[in-house]
Amino acid sequence: MDGIKTDKLESSLLIVILDTNPVWWGKKKIAQDPMTLSHCVDCLTVLANSHLMVSHNNKLAVIAAHTDISTFLYPSSQPARPDIFKLPDDGQYEVFNSVESQLRTQLKTLIEADKAQVDYMEEQSSDSLLAGAMCMALCYIHRLEKECPIGESLTARILILKGSDDCPSQYMNFMNAVFTAQKQNVVIDACILDSESGLLQQACDITGGTYLNIPQAQGLLQYLLWVFLPDPSSRSKMALPPRAQVDYRAACFCHRNLIEIGYVCSVCLSIYCSFSPICSTCQTTFKIIGPQKLVKKKIKKP
Amino acid sequence: MSKSSEEVLLIVKNVKNKKTDGTLYLMGERMAWMLESKNVFNISYMYADIKAQKISPDSKEKVQLQVILHDGSANTFLFNNPRSRQTQMQDRESVKELLQQLLPKFKRKISAELEEKNRLLQEDPESFQLYKDLVVSGVITPEEFWASRAHMLPSSTSSSSSSGGKTAPAQNVGVSPAFLADIKPVTDGANGLKYNLTQDIIQSIFKTYPMVKKKHAEAVPHQVSDCEFWSRFFQSHYFHRDRHALSSEDIFTECAKNDEEVMKDEITKNVNDPLVDLTQMKDQSLEDDYRGIVDDTRTSNNVSNQAMIRRFNQHSTLVLRACTSASTGGVASENSAVEGGRKEKDSSRKSKSNEVNHVNGGVAHPTNGTSDSVEEPHRKKKRIKEKIGFEDLDDKEESEGVTLRLTQMDRYLHGPTPSSSTASASVASRLGHDDVTSEDAILSVASEVEGWGSARHMVLGSTEALSVLGELSPGGALMSGTSLQQLHQQVSPATRDEIKQNYNAMCELLRHFWSCFPVSSKSLEDKVVKMRQTLERFEMSKLAPLKEKLSQYHYAMNLTGHLEEMLRAAYLKFDAWQARRNARRP
Repeated sequence: MDGIKTDKLESSLLIVILDTNPVWWGKKKIAQDPMTLSHCVDCLTVLANSHLMVSHNNKLAVIAAHTDISTFLYPSSQPARPDIFKLPDDGQYEVFNSVESQLRTQLKTLIEADKAQVDYMEEQSSDSLLAGAMCMALCYIHRLEKECPIGESLTARILILKGSDDCPSQYMNFMNAVFTAQKQNVVIDACILDSESGLLQQACDITGGTYLNIPQAQGLLQYLLWVFLPDPSSRSKMALPPRAQVDYRAACFCHRNLIEIGYVCSVCLSIYCSFSPICSTCQTTFKIIGPQKLVKKKIKKP
Repeated sequence: MSKSSEEVLLIVKNVKNKKTDGTLYLMGERMAWMLESKNVFNISYMYADIKAQKISPDSKEKVQLQVILHDGSANTFLFNNPRSRQTQMQDRESVKELLQQLLPKFKRKISAELEEKNRLLQEDPESFQLYKDLVVSGVITPEEFWASRAHMLPSSTSSSSSSGGKTAPAQNVGVSPAFLADIKPVTDGANGLKYNLTQDIIQSIFKTYPMVKKKHAEAVPHQVSDCEFWSRFFQSHYFHRDRHALSSEDIFTECAKNDEEVMKDEITKNVNDPLVDLTQMKDQSLEDDYRGIVDDTRTSNNVSNQAMIRRFNQHSTLVLRACTSASTGGVASENSAVEGGRKEKDSSRKSKSNEVNHVNGGVAHPTNGTSDSVEEPHRKKKRIKEKIGFEDLDDKEESEGVTLRLTQMDRYLHGPTPSSSTASASVASRLGHDDVTSEDAILSVASEVEGWGSARHMVLGSTEALSVLGELSPGGALMSGTSLQQLHQQVSPATRDEIKQNYNAMCELLRHFWSCFPVSSKSLEDKVVKMRQTLERFEMSKLAPLKEKLSQYHYAMNLTGHLEEMLRAAYLKFDAWQARRNARRP
């Protein structure tokens, strides 16, 4: 019946990177914020199932960006334990059920590992390994593209669900991952739960994805389904939030301030917010010929 | 407009203009007249503005010179040297001669310039519009307009000859090899021949035979007239193919001698290519069928033939060299005082024909054989090296670049921090739990995860979903800007064009205005005051009507706001400057 369509199988791979930073989520929880990790994962599960429901060929992966590790939550590397993986009792589609149960078990093991470590751990950094998770996602996409049978095309995108703050020390890795994604035609979307992320804004702008900082945490699922469920190709046909202006300012090397106009070393491209005669990165000496001083003319009084 | 660095070519005192005594100055690019006992020029004409000069006939008592300008006006100078009429005449002659030389230069330049400008305006509609807006409506003068566009004109518009150095030299026009043969004499019926010499031919002769030019420069004003010089040139043996008998009184004798030297020089310089043996060359064809001359029987022993071929060779050399050396030869062409397009030369005693045969194969002539005797080992070596060396086969040495030593590499790897630090602080303060340790946080999450039950029906409440939908619908909080019509859809193309034109014009004016700062000279001072008035005039005559017109359309945005802002900024700057200037002057 549908001969033409079946000739070309188009599958869409959605990789969700979930920021599972326990410190950030824990602080939220203590602050009695309605936005909890479990709620977020529930929303994510609904989105994932919806994505799988859109087309039978759609694929899904979920990666947790934790503080010390980035790991796949779905599909999990460990074989499903038979005691946990049981057939749904309410007649739910098996795949949906497996997504939900795998997400939960994997997350639980992740958090429990943290809990076990908590006693002999001094102060855990509150950064999430977002760049690492993105690289894992890109590798996974690459693998699936290679495995993709002839005649089938795979479009992949990454959705980042992020709560914690940007991590400046990962800057270079992060940007490298973003440019790789751009080169691989992988769209990066970002759904921000808390404070704005300049890096993700840039990432979305570069790869052509959507960046959204959600105003109401309670309605997370609505945002996800409304904005992030549609494929990037079909987004142009919809009335979605417009793209925001992205702040591409660079940070100076001396104070790490964002500057609009600065001094750039012509040798090593270091950026400074104020002029210094010697570049502190590569020790180049600069001779700047400033504007010549105007010779003051003495006006003779008649 | 006066330039202090102008060179003064001639000063003539005792020149009356409108019955007052003064001094006439001829400078590099203008002539000027100054009233006695004053030190400013009362009258100043750029040469480019002068159309022609007229002198009073000798029979008249007054010795006068009239200058006619392009705009039709004229001014008369009376030479009034008290010494004698003779000196008066001399004064005038000197002025006339100089003008005669200077005027054609500027005349040509200005017409070329005008053409260039015209072409520019035709090609660039935006400039044309600007020109119409600003110059035609009298807001700024054409000179100001073009001064700011000097970079667009390929030939520098600053017409002073001294500044010509920065302009790219125009391509040299070569010399036609047959230019001498092309001067066809016309018999005038009687026993004479007429030569028509055009400016071009004279140039060609000068270019090719620099010696003649030198002679011309030496002889013409003093010893013989221009006409006489050229008729002598044609009469002389120099011009003709046979040059055996060189009489000593001929002014071109020296040229011929010089030619001999040049020829010898050429031979030693150029014909010592070790890879070419000219003595072995024969003037014969390769195939019998082609021309059928197997033996070169024409290796003539006729001296006159040899001399002729010799001349051809030399002529060809000079013609070829004229193209290359003209640029280095300095004062190329324009100095020739010959005015008028055509000169007629009459030579009465012409008898010999100057028919020129083009003989090919002149290279094989034995005269060139002397080259073997002159050997420059160095040159030869170089030449051979040139032939056997191939650039492609050379070893390419890659120069090692300077190694970059970087000290704090990690600086590159870090992203911007401050925004996040402030943000995290805000988060903490918002949460009100700045003192929550990460341990507690982890434990609380762990406890949450432990008691994690299925809550699928609780994921999204209907009220939240509705409010989010409101945000995401057109006109909602997250959809700002999408419901609004785009500006370019609101404004009609005609209005857009009009605004654009006004922007263009005003930016041009403002550029002129701002270029006056810092106000370092009197002329800039005058200009800035004038520009301010111009800006005001522009605001009144163009901006105000535009604003009125736009207000009728009721646009949501103030489209002229930025224009007005720019004007305010300029006015502020001007007022500040004026206040300071007034304060300085007691």
